Amino acid sequence: MSFFGLDATGRKPRERRPQGEEESLDFEDSYQGLGDHALEEDDLLNDETFGTAADLGADFDFGYGKGGLDAGADAGKGSAPAPVSYAAIANAKLNGQTNSKPGFEQSLDMQPMESLWGNSDGLQQVPQQVPQQGPQQFQAPPQVHQQGAPNKEGMSMQTLERQQQMGIAPQPGFYGMQPPQGPGYGFMPQGFPQGQFQQFPGQNVPPVMPNQFGNGGFPNQPVNPQEAFQQMPPVMYNQAQGNGPPHMQHPQVAVPPMHNQPSVQQHPRQLPPQPLPQQQQQSQPQQQQQMFHQPHSAETNIAPQSTRGTQQFEHTNSPMPLQPKLEQIPTPPHTPRDYRRGPRRFGPQDALTDDELRRLQVRQSKVDKILRHSGVMTPRDKDFITRYQLSQIVTDDPYNEDFYFQVYKIIQRGVTASESNKDSIAKAYLEHSGHRLGGRYKRTDVALQRMQSQVEKAVTVAKERPQKSKGGLDSAKEGVLGKISATRNSKAPRKQLQIPTHKEDSPSLSSQSSSALDEVSESLQGVDINAKRRRSSYALSSSVDQRSVLTRSGGRKFILSLIETVYEEVLELEAQLRSGQQPDSTKLWEALHIEEHGFDVSPFISILSFDKGIKIIPRIMNFLSREEKIKLFTCFFRELSHLNVIVISSYKISPLPTKDQLKKVELFQSVFLKIIVSFLSSSAEFLEVMSLLINVIQNNNVSFITTSRIGLNLITVLISRAALMKQDVSRGKLLSSVEVSTWSEVYDRLFTSLETKLTAIFPTTEYMQHAVSVYDQDSSQYDQSYIWQFLASLALSGKLNHQRILIDEVRDEIFEVISKAEELNSPSQQDPKLTYQRNKYYQDLNLFLNVMGLVARDGEITELK
Amino acid sequence: MSDTPLDLLKLNLDEQVYVKLRDARELIGTLQAFDSHCNIVLSDSKEIIYELVDGDLKTTERFSEMIFVRGGLVALVTTPEDD
Repeated sequence: MSFFGLDATGRKPRERRPQGEEESLDFEDSYQGLGDHALEEDDLLNDETFGTAADLGADFDFGYGKGGLDAGADAGKGSAPAPVSYAAIANAKLNGQTNSKPGFEQSLDMQPMESLWGNSDGLQQVPQQVPQQGPQQFQAPPQVHQQGAPNKEGMSMQTLERQQQMGIAPQPGFYGMQPPQGPGYGFMPQGFPQGQFQQFPGQNVPPVMPNQFGNGGFPNQPVNPQEAFQQMPPVMYNQAQGNGPPHMQHPQVAVPPMHNQPSVQQHPRQLPPQPLPQQQQQSQPQQQQQMFHQPHSAETNIAPQSTRGTQQFEHTNSPMPLQPKLEQIPTPPHTPRDYRRGPRRFGPQDALTDDELRRLQVRQSKVDKILRHSGVMTPRDKDFITRYQLSQIVTDDPYNEDFYFQVYKIIQRGVTASESNKDSIAKAYLEHSGHRLGGRYKRTDVALQRMQSQVEKAVTVAKERPQKSKGGLDSAKEGVLGKISATRNSKAPRKQLQIPTHKEDSPSLSSQSSSALDEVSESLQGVDINAKRRRSSYALSSSVDQRSVLTRSGGRKFILSLIETVYEEVLELEAQLRSGQQPDSTKLWEALHIEEHGFDVSPFISILSFDKGIKIIPRIMNFLSREEKIKLFTCFFRELSHLNVIVISSYKISPLPTKDQLKKVELFQSVFLKIIVSFLSSSAEFLEVMSLLINVIQNNNVSFITTSRIGLNLITVLISRAALMKQDVSRGKLLSSVEVSTWSEVYDRLFTSLETKLTAIFPTTEYMQHAVSVYDQDSSQYDQSYIWQFLASLALSGKLNHQRILIDEVRDEIFEVISKAEELNSPSQQDPKLTYQRNKYYQDLNLFLNVMGLVARDGEITELK
Repeated sequence: MSDTPLDLLKLNLDEQVYVKLRDARELIGTLQAFDSHCNIVLSDSKEIIYELVDGDLKTTERFSEMIFVRGGLVALVTTPEDD
């Protein structure tokens, strides 16, 4: 309607008036008044021009009826501003109209629909309406009287109706105006059919239509000067309806039958207001309709009430027996217009269209839902969000973010490459989104390409991100200065203030460390076993107390934090290993503090006093060079007597070990001892084994160590390994005389330290019983095999005199074992368990005896044959 | 290493800890896990529940191989007294 913009000033205020009843009233009033006017002018004119509407040919009827209908609708809308008339109605002497309000509302509802359908109403309706108009006009007068608005419009209506009643249409002035409309109407039919189609399908109307309508409408304007003036308001009104103020629409929406219309009207709202109807896609249909109406309304502004309008009024408000019949009969439901129209006005038709209405409602609500948030985000926004989300998914360090899944994946597919990670993500994402986007709109290729590019972007972004954060970390003072890296999230929270601490540089220590081996070799060369660097100055008592040991190695907290550091380093190194980098274990080595001599007790030893410290050792070993391993073991054996496990497993110090302590011993055995054995047997040189043994002898109270199971195990390992190496000719490398002599020296030294105390390696019976009872071992007997193994290895490396001394010292124990075994051998008892126990005794014993060519059997010791 | 309280708690991972809880309960067990809410997982834990029954203090002990302690119940965490 924007085309016709004349009455804007006058109409607008009225239109914007309060909604609801008043409006509805206005509507009707306007309707009436305008209708009257229109009738007076248009109808009369029409009648004159066309003769009686009923008689006219189809085309004319169409145009006429159309015009009338449209005019009525437009009048309703455009004239809605008729508050005056309403007031007049209220005040005035409306006789029969007690129901004015509902009637008005209905009419309101009706009108927009009518306008919609009016356009679309094809030729079919025209003939029908024409006959209706006749009676309506005749009937109209009572209405007019009832409402009898003092308004000019109302007056005009009344007069019109009266005139109509009279059957005469004598208003030349108005008629003069109309002739131009005639052609307009003539044009109209062309546009209408299309309009109908558009409207019916529903909300989306092709923009092409407006042109046609425009063409139809335009010709009219120039012709009528009045129209120009009057049309202005309708234009405003249309805009208001289409784009902006919902007041008019809301009441309509409220009424169920109207749903079709609201949908049409709502769409235009969403679209930005465009003055040109052609540009408006959705709003166009309305405008088009209105356009058509406008010419009429322009005329009717004063009183452009279409016959239809009057019809409505009459039907709704005034009980007219004749009209309903007439209308029902003439208007068959098959025409779309009637079909829709019917439900509103006529009861029977209402029932028929319920389903359809419901369907339309549902559909409309769906469309509304879809459209509600459509266009909120631009494609760029979506891209951004997609990329952001993807960047959260893609990670450079899957093992850190998603460890268990990675492990699971490896187990499942054996795929370790981290590269596959992002690919799979991208693939999965593409699969998903591609399917949805492409599947629905069959733009799969395009969508896939888009998503692929997005994923690529996302991956690159994700790659760049951690690097930035890492760079940020480097400048440790950044936080202090208040500059905070922009990339902060749950994964990389704001860093605590980090004040760089100067690491205690220990170049001197490192230089010392390099000479550690030399030191050992020197001591070997010189065979200066008596020169004890740190002779077990640590009295037994001091080593017993775990706390004092911890204190002397830096404190419990220090050790615990060291362990944490070690764990972190190991994890880091393992991550590097997975990613194919060359692990740099210097930090790990520093954390172990193996070459740290600033403590009475090496922190490393204290680390081993914690279970978690022991558990991490196998993983540490993967990253240590051979030299470092040797240093580690050297340190370990050097301070063996401080080792918590030694203390715990010593029956002298822990005569009644707890279950936890025994567990600890077993843990140590299964973890650390295994490592030592494997290292010694695989990669250790004879010299190194000796140096380790020297360290044990030099720095520890050997007799004390041998009272512990672990200590005995360790020494056994060393001695037996050395003996094996010495005997192993196949090595191809014969031991030098120096080495051999050194070994004998070392052995002598060891033996000397143990001499006269060998019986002490046998734990007390109380200890054995307690250990067995606490630990719930299957066997009822304490396993002494480790003791006999030790004695065997000792005897193996010893000379004859050594062996003789050995046997002398442990003779009592030997016979004790034999007697125990024989006790179990009582013929009466044939318990397999006891038999096994007996055999076990002999086996253990024979470990030792066999070395010396003896064998214990059936209570007797004989020479091994 | 920064020393927030939980960092200190971290040092005691895999160590025996004594946890005092609300409602006169205490737990001794090996610290397996914890989080920022002080939710704690203990293994091989011994729970001691103190109750007043007719004016007499009654203690009940419960052992559990693995137990989750909601952080809201934790009053204090420390190393157990050496026996």
